[in-house]
Amino acid sequence: MNENLQKISNYFTELIKKYENLGYKVKKKILFIIGRIFLYYVLIELAFLFVLPFIYIFTKALMTSADYMDATINWIPTAVNWKNFSEAWKALDYTVGFRQTIITSLGSAILQTVFCALAGYSLGRYKGKWKSVIFILVVLVLLIPPQTTILSAYGIFVKMGMINTFLPILLPCLFGLGIRGALFILIYMYFFQRVPDAMDDAARIDGAGAIRVFSQIMLPLVKSATVITFMFSFVWHWNDNFEASTYMYRKSVQTLQPRLQNIRSYYSDIMMKSTGADSLAQKALTEPMLFAGCLIVMLPVLIVYIFGQKRLAAGIERIGVIE
Amino acid sequence: MKNEIKKKKALAHQRTSYSFLSFERRRVVEGIIFIIPWLVGFIWFVAIPLLLSVKTSFYQTKLTDMYGGKYIGFENYLTVIKQPAYGQVVVNSFLSSIYQVPVIVGFALFVAVLLKQKFPGRVYFRIIFFIPVILAGVIMTYLTTEGIGSISILSGSTSTSSTGILGIISTMMNGSLAGQIGNIMWKSSVEILIFLAALQSVPEILYEVVVIDGATAWESFWHITLPYISPFVILNCIYAMVDSFVDPSNPVMKIVNDLKDVGSFGTAAALSWMYMLMALVTILIFVLLTKRWLR
Repeated sequence: MNENLQKISNYFTELIKKYENLGYKVKKKILFIIGRIFLYYVLIELAFLFVLPFIYIFTKALMTSADYMDATINWIPTAVNWKNFSEAWKALDYTVGFRQTIITSLGSAILQTVFCALAGYSLGRYKGKWKSVIFILVVLVLLIPPQTTILSAYGIFVKMGMINTFLPILLPCLFGLGIRGALFILIYMYFFQRVPDAMDDAARIDGAGAIRVFSQIMLPLVKSATVITFMFSFVWHWNDNFEASTYMYRKSVQTLQPRLQNIRSYYSDIMMKSTGADSLAQKALTEPMLFAGCLIVMLPVLIVYIFGQKRLAAGIERIGVIE
Repeated sequence: MKNEIKKKKALAHQRTSYSFLSFERRRVVEGIIFIIPWLVGFIWFVAIPLLLSVKTSFYQTKLTDMYGGKYIGFENYLTVIKQPAYGQVVVNSFLSSIYQVPVIVGFALFVAVLLKQKFPGRVYFRIIFFIPVILAGVIMTYLTTEGIGSISILSGSTSTSSTGILGIISTMMNGSLAGQIGNIMWKSSVEILIFLAALQSVPEILYEVVVIDGATAWESFWHITLPYISPFVILNCIYAMVDSFVDPSNPVMKIVNDLKDVGSFGTAAALSWMYMLMALVTILIFVLLTKRWLR
């Protein structure tokens, strides 16, 4: 036993000696390969947890109801059942829902990006005592859950006759509020603080006004902030069910998320009328279609993110001056 | 001589009265003009509803009439303070939130540094770590609630009888330390993306400079990357704190919702106000403490 240990340790010391005798370039290459193996190992290990629910949805969306009921089939369906998707498309009334959702989420993403940038610019670039008060208010807004204020906000919108239109969701975004608007203000604030004062001063000496400095000098410098704000805003508004189902409850103006929530009852309504089937069979019929619905609701967000994160990589070379 | 001074003073006076604001003053006014739209929105959509909720906390309310009722002063606050169970829950959930923050932020920074590297397949990993944000909303409730063999890693609840691989994983991941780690990882994807954006804005030249000076990757992380993204560490800490304070699965939020269901809006408002103030003060203390670290 001891001898064996000795042998192994000898082997390793020799290996290390061999490594030390290697040239600089080879050494670097070996270290690089070890680093890559480590990188992939860690990432794949972590990614497993994140990707699991996704795979779960995907496999269930492809199953027939017979597969779904079969306890022996967990992951791989016996046959691919594309019909789920067309059923889900019909049940969601996808074209109308998509139009509603894209207007709310794209509109509020654009509005939030612009107006949170304005507020964040003010907090990040200007000095004064008023700033700390505003900062406290912004953190307060971030802290308040939407459930606390939605009742009174609903009252305000009813008075203005805006229920079942896009306005209750778009209007707060116009003032830099809306879903987690305060977070976007903070993101912009910290990004603007990073930009060296020299940029600002140079532009002002050349005679640029405040709006020009903001839009043509500062905003291009914080492109990463713009990209993540836009992406988060889009995704969060797309996935929002709470506000959307409160303000736009009429069936014809609903966004996709409330539709997805109603999809269960949609199917059981039809079934109850025709056959009066029991709940277990109902579930078997509904559930795969429901997951297919989840997938087609998710898809546009995924596409936006894939394009967005590419932009994130392109924003590097913009910062020219380093303090 | 005296006359000249007088003339100069008069001239200076004239100048200030013509351009009635100095350069510094003008900058302040500019800053305030930029924030005004937000302030208007704040008063309209946040301050007024909030004041109503403050008012509710001073009244005895009934199930039928949320904003009516009798004025009772600080009675509601006293009810909350007198309940020892509430205090215990508030303190516990507060502490557990604060424990979580460094873990979430540290993990997010670690993953973001890995994802910033250029390697084949990076895009796929970036998508994967964003999945928790995409899978939010109704889809999430479908995944965590009954009906489908619920994935209890995500809900953080106790194990339900699910079968197959999913069941094994959920029992493996449940309750224990591993389950909590899974939960925390799932929460950190917003922070990962913020860090990723911050890391992209670190000028590449700085790294080239220190590589020429012979710094290792480890050293350049501590001396270049971390100082450069320190504001975003603070931002992510703030967000992680807020996120865990107002999480619907937070015990305090559950109590507030239960109180609302029973109809005691006054007590609920009082509790949530005290909790909110505690959270706000904690965050502000954190910001003040870390201010020195920023520059």
